Parts: sequence; structure tokens; C-alpha cells
Amino acid sequence: MRISDLKISISGIRGIVGKSLTPQLIIKFSEAFSSYIGGGKIAVATDTRPSAEMVKYAVFSGILSCGASPLDLGILPIPSLQIYTKEKELEGAISITASHNPVEWNALKLIRKGGLFLFPYEAEELLDFYYQGKFRRVQKPERIEKVVEPFALHEEKILQFIDINLLRRNRLKVVIDPCGGAASPYVKRFLERLGAEVICVNCELSGEFPRNPEPVPENLLHLCEAVKKYGADVGFAQDADADRLAAVDERGNPIGEEYTLALAVDYYLTGKEKTPVVVNLSTSKVLEDITQKAGVKLVRTKVGEVNVARKMADIGAKIGGEGNGGIIVSDVHTCRDSFTGMALLMEYLARSGKKLSELKEKLPSYFMVKEKIKASFREGKRILNKLSHEFSDGNIQVTDGLRVDYHDFWFHVRPSNTEPVVRIIVEGREAELAKEVFRKIMAGVAP
Amino acid sequence: MQEGLRISVSGIRGEVPDALNVEVASKFSSAFSSYLEEGRIGVCRDSRYSSHMLEMAVLSSVIASGLDCVDFGMLPIPFLQFFMREEAFTGGIAVTAGHNPLPWNAVVLLDGGGHYLEASEGSEVFNIYEAGDFNNVPWKKLGGVKKKTFPIEHYLKEISKLVNVERIKRAGFKVVADPCNGVVSSFLGAFGDFFNLELISINDDPEKPFPHPPEPSFENASQVEAVVKSTGADLGFLLNSDGSRISFVSEKGNGLSEECTFPLCLLSLKDRIKKAVSTVVTSGLADWAAEQCGVKILRTKVGQSAVVHMMEAEGAGAGGEGSGSFALSSFSSGYDALLTLSLVLDLISGEEKGLSEIISPFPKLYMRKLKIEVPPERTYKVMDKLEDVYSKENPNFMDGIRIDRKGVWFNIRPSATEFLLRLFIEGEKEELVESIEEEIRGRIEL
Repeated sequence: MRISDLKISISGIRGIVGKSLTPQLIIKFSEAFSSYIGGGKIAVATDTRPSAEMVKYAVFSGILSCGASPLDLGILPIPSLQIYTKEKELEGAISITASHNPVEWNALKLIRKGGLFLFPYEAEELLDFYYQGKFRRVQKPERIEKVVEPFALHEEKILQFIDINLLRRNRLKVVIDPCGGAASPYVKRFLERLGAEVICVNCELSGEFPRNPEPVPENLLHLCEAVKKYGADVGFAQDADADRLAAVDERGNPIGEEYTLALAVDYYLTGKEKTPVVVNLSTSKVLEDITQKAGVKLVRTKVGEVNVARKMADIGAKIGGEGNGGIIVSDVHTCRDSFTGMALLMEYLARSGKKLSELKEKLPSYFMVKEKIKASFREGKRILNKLSHEFSDGNIQVTDGLRVDYHDFWFHVRPSNTEPVVRIIVEGREAELAKEVFRKIMAGVAP
Repeated sequence: MQEGLRISVSGIRGEVPDALNVEVASKFSSAFSSYLEEGRIGVCRDSRYSSHMLEMAVLSSVIASGLDCVDFGMLPIPFLQFFMREEAFTGGIAVTAGHNPLPWNAVVLLDGGGHYLEASEGSEVFNIYEAGDFNNVPWKKLGGVKKKTFPIEHYLKEISKLVNVERIKRAGFKVVADPCNGVVSSFLGAFGDFFNLELISINDDPEKPFPHPPEPSFENASQVEAVVKSTGADLGFLLNSDGSRISFVSEKGNGLSEECTFPLCLLSLKDRIKKAVSTVVTSGLADWAAEQCGVKILRTKVGQSAVVHMMEAEGAGAGGEGSGSFALSSFSSGYDALLTLSLVLDLISGEEKGLSEIISPFPKLYMRKLKIEVPPERTYKVMDKLEDVYSKENPNFMDGIRIDRKGVWFNIRPSATEFLLRLFIEGEKEELVESIEEEIRGRIEL
């Protein structure tokens, strides 16, 4: 079976430049979005990939073609774009970024009015426009408007939310690694405004990512060394579109991206306000311990930022997120936001007067295995079926793939919506146990 | 191929958005870039509503094929053609429909030297377009877009080598300009200052729609005529939307036929040109002027592509058409209205006469340029029939059918840019012209 690298799905359109992601395709997809939106202003921003220019011109022409007016926000982190869309009451936005995918990829991510990603039913409707070529092309297109200082709004929202005086009194030394991504032009000044002394790693806009953009421990060696070398209080790593955050403690050890969210939630509940918490089904069990201790409700949703964000709005949760380093704080905006994450963790350090390693020590520790295996969609179904029989004595949930809970471990097996892969996550109190369960699952997966 | 799209040797044009839209412009640019394979493309656009949108599609598609773009933004196409001689390019793309009315637009292709593409090259691009066989390159090889401001001072410096700037400056002409809210609007100030003109500009806001069809001809000259009369100006002129064509209004406030433009240029360049190229439908005024100046006229098919390529092939110094177009091979690679204006300013300052006096010795010829609406599917049947009818009158098939009779000639051909037949009739007496019009209309009706 041939599998195309082009992915047209409810999360947008993604492909390899020069192979599947052609200007014609980008134009048509932007025309579909513009037609679907039906006019008004659409913000456009990019990450730092070299192909951004080619994609952006195509997106502009497509938006103009169907009567909407594009706002050019230049290079901008995706949370900043979402916040801009919400605060300026725009009709929508397109983010040109393939986030953590390697540099040969690019993608369009679609944002609706209010600054959230498209809801699945909206995305389905948009795809109807695309596939049927239902474009509302106009005779007299609007104009492109250039936005200056597009990050300012985002920065102001965070400065209002955070205890800025506390941070300025407790000057922290911070090493930041934005991976040469969309945060690079802004993040140094941002942290300085939070009163930090800032050391930059990978802040240059080189076009090629200086490291693998996924903020997981094995990609953060450079950052870890810099934290040790400069004796910093904390190191932060962002991915290419700056929605996800990972932290490194003062000893130069990555705390693991699952603990970025855990620490942020822990602090929010103890230092700010008691509120229900929403996370996805793949997020670490440590969130259950934290919410239990604080006596608040924890709600789990399907994987995907928009699912968590919508549930937060529904139940009035102030904080939530995804275990891959995506922190969502609704005081700023219900989107994954590495900037708000950094501000929150810095405030935690300043207020507690403790080291990051100590704050992490306080939390129960878990061991997690995250893997993905190639499997066709049909194969994915077979695997789920087989595993649900094999682990039928556990507590089974099937809202998003298969999640099975036991008292000392749990696992989540989920076929991807966009790729022919199945993601497997196992977590247990003991590393040995988690690894053993993972081996058992892999044996079950084998045909 | 999209319905309603007009294909000519040098590009595609059509009404936006049904025939010409971003998707078509993108595919066409991908095809052109794939044809060129490498190098750098000069890009510009006119002031039409749809031009910026189409230009974005062009830029994206060109760099996706690995070629670089030098983007001049809103710029008269003659300036792009001029600049393409100053620096090395492999091709050019202009988003402009020149004289076509709104909502038309076009994507016009230029070769590396700034000439309109030749017919054989154009058809190669269309083959790639139809096959959809585009050369899209991986991220590392993508081209880039460099924004560039046109160096108007270089252009004016080259103009000053052709005309007596000091003499024109001393004259301090009062000139009425109607750039039809087109791209030349923003360059008129610099041009006027250079020649010390007292410029009275009307319709000079590129943000606004065209005030009249963007075709320089005496039919569209009434505003300029009125302003020339009321201000006592020395000269008036009208441009098309991209600054490639021009027609004039005399100091008496009379609009001249656009057929006068080419002959006036020949007079201005007297003794400097030996050979010039024109088309099979250009007025006999051109022959008269050529005779006055000892210039040999060669004739070819209608359109800039045919004219400039014959100029190259034959080593002709100049070329022009009755549409108000003029090109000078030593200066640039295409029709240029501001060059033409400079030559006419030079002429009137040198002769110390107004335009009305300069044209008074021109022979009295009556010309009618008619558009005859024929549904696209009938066009070639009609042409076939006319070919039969006139087969015994020694027809000239250079472009459509031309028949020469005593004291009168006519030419009928399908338009390359719109869906109609163009009938041109010129004769010494108005009755002769009228009778031919009746004759042809009668034959088409049947």
C-alpha cells in the first residue's frame, strides 16, 4: 500500500515541500478556509522554516482570492497568534508551521474565531469546501495589512497575570533554548521583562533547526550543559512553534516534559487558586495525585489541544494541558502556551524560594514509556481489539483509542488521526514495571 | 484549460475570478519557472484590484520551483523591461492587462532580455501547464523574494541620452496627464521634475478604479481635452494601465488618434533610425512618416511579441503599432509610454511648434477600428468564410485577412486578447470606409 506524505485532515494540511506540499495545494486550501470563513480578517503567521516564504505568499493569495483580508504577523509563536486572533476579534487565523516535524515539512494549522483550533465538525465542513472546490472567489480582493509588534498583546496578557513585582525582586538566572523557532525573536526580551537574567542557546534564526525541535530530554543536551556552566536557576526549551515547554533543573537535569505541566498545575492550585483541572488521556498520573491532594476535580479528554481547551471552558477550569509540555492557563488564553508556562514556573521558584529539583522531588515520581509504531489504520484497529481482550481485567476506557488502568500502572494505545502510526504510552510507579508492561503490549501488537 | 481564458503568445488573460484566478496564475507561473529551470525572475504588477493577489500566487510558485524573484511591486511593465537589461535575469512576469477593461487581468511572460515571449517559447510553457509537469524543489533549493525599488534615476539618465533635456526644460511645458489611475501615476512627479514640466495630472490615484477604459485613444480623451483647453496647456496625454501605450492631445485641446503616436516618434528620431517594424494593421500615417524620414518599414503580425522579435531578427532600430505603442531597441526591449512622451516633448521643443501644427501635414486618412462580437465557437467559421469570399483579391494572411483596394484597405482578425473580431478599415474618403464596413457586416451576418 502506498502512503502519501501529504496529510489533509481536521488538523489542517501537512506535507513535504517540493514533494507533496505544492503552492497550488496551499492556495486551494487557503481558498477553502477563506470561503468557509466568508470574509473578514484572517491573521497569518509563520515559524522560522525556510519554506515559510513560499507558503506564506500562497496563503495570502488564497485568502485574498475568496474575499477575506490577510493580516501579516510575520514570524510569531502559535499561542501569540491564537491570542491575537481572540483579542482582536478576528474571523480566523492560519499558522504556517509544522511544529516539531523536521525542517523539510511544513503545514497549515487553522484557527477559528476566538483563537481556538477548529472544532472537528468545523474542520469537516471546511474539508467539504476544499474537496468540492466550493470557493467564493471575488472580483475585487481586499488588501494585505502588515501588523507591527504582533507579540506585544501576548506579552501584556502574561504581565497582567503574573506577580511581576515578585519576579523582579527575585531575579532568576534563566537559560532559554527556543530551538531557533518562532519564539526566538521575542523570548529574550520577554524573560527580561519578567526580571530574569537571560542566557540564550539556539536563539539565532538560522532557518535550519539547531536541534531536533521536540522538547524531550535527549534533545536538550546543549541546554543542560549551559545551565550547569552558568549556574542558572532553570533552563527552558520550547518547540519550533512555542506551544510546548520543557524545563531543566538547576543541576542541569531535564525534569521531563510531563513534569512541566505537573509543576505548573501544582503551583496554580496551591499558590493561585483552586480550580478543576483538565488534561488529556495520555497525561501522567501525577496529575491525579496533585489534584486529589488539592481536593479539586481532574477531567480527562481526548488528545488534542482543542479538546482540552473546550472542556476547560465548559467546566470553568482555569488550568489544564497536555503531558507533552503543553500548559494551558485560561487567565491568559485557553491554548498551549510555553510563555505562560515559563512565567508560572518562575513565579513558583520565586515564591517558594526553593530549587526546581526540590519542587520536583516533592511530587510523586512515575516512569513513562512513550513509543510509536508504524501501523496502517486497519492494523491499528486490530491492535486495539487484541489488547482490549488481553487486558480485560483492567479499567478500560475507549473514548480515544484504548486506555486501561490498573492500580500500579496504566497504558494508552491510540492510532494517530493524521499518520499511519499507533502511539503507545505506559506509566507505572516503577520503571521495571512500566517496561515490562510495554514489552507485553509490544508482544500483543505483533501480528 | 479554464473556460474564458485567453491564451496569447506572451501570456494568459481573462476575467477575474472566473477565468483567471490564483490557481491558474500559480499553475502558469509554475509552468514558466519549470520551463526556465533556473535563475532569477523580475516581477511587477499594475494597479488593478486583483493584481496584488495574483502576484502573490506568482511569487509563491516561482520560488517553489527554485528560482529567485526580484519583486518591484507596483511598476509599469516598461520599467521592468528596462531594468532587465541592466541586470541578469532568466525571465520576467508582469501581472497586468494593459488596455483590457476591469475585471480582466493577465499574467504576461518576458524572456531574459525583457522581451515578450516568442510564440514557440510560449507554446512550450503551455505544454508544461497542460501536462501539470511542474518542477517543485525541496526546501533547501527554494528560491527567495527580494523586494526592489525601481531606480528611476537610471531610467531618466538613459532618456537624457536620447533627447535634449535642457531644451525641453527651458520650454517649461505645461502638460496635462491622464495615467488612468494606473501604475505610472506614482512616477509622474519624478518625470515632470526631470523635464521641468508644469504637470496637471488627472486620474492619478492608483488606489481608485479606472475612470474610463484604460485604452489611450481619442474616444477616451474628452477629460484631457477639456483640461488642456481650460488651462491653456501645451500638450496632453493618456496612458493605458501599465504604461506601455500612449496617445496625445494637442495644444488646441484636440485628441489625436493613437495611430499618430508611432509616426510622431519616427519624426522625432529623424535620421537616427533606418529600419522600423510595424504591423499589418497600422495606419498609412506610419508609411508617410517613414518616407519623410527615409525609414524602411517592415510589417508583421499584431502584438508586441511579433514586433519586438522582428526588430531583433531584422536589426531594426524601432518598432511600433497603431495602438499608441512604440519601442526603441537601443533603449529597452518593449513598448514604453514615457519614452514615447520624452520623444514627443523633444519633437515639439525642437520644432518650436504645437502638436496641431506638427500633424497638419499628415495625410488625411479615415480609419475605423471596429469590434465585432462573434461567439467564440463561430469565430473560425466566419474567418473561413471570409477567406473564401476574398480569395480572388490577393489577400494578405499575415494576421487574419487584409485586403488592399484602391484608396482603401481593411483587415479582419480574431482578437488575441478578447472574444471578438477586430475589423480595421482605413481609406482616403469616409464614404469608402463606410461602404466596406457595411460589406463586411453583411457577410458576417449571413
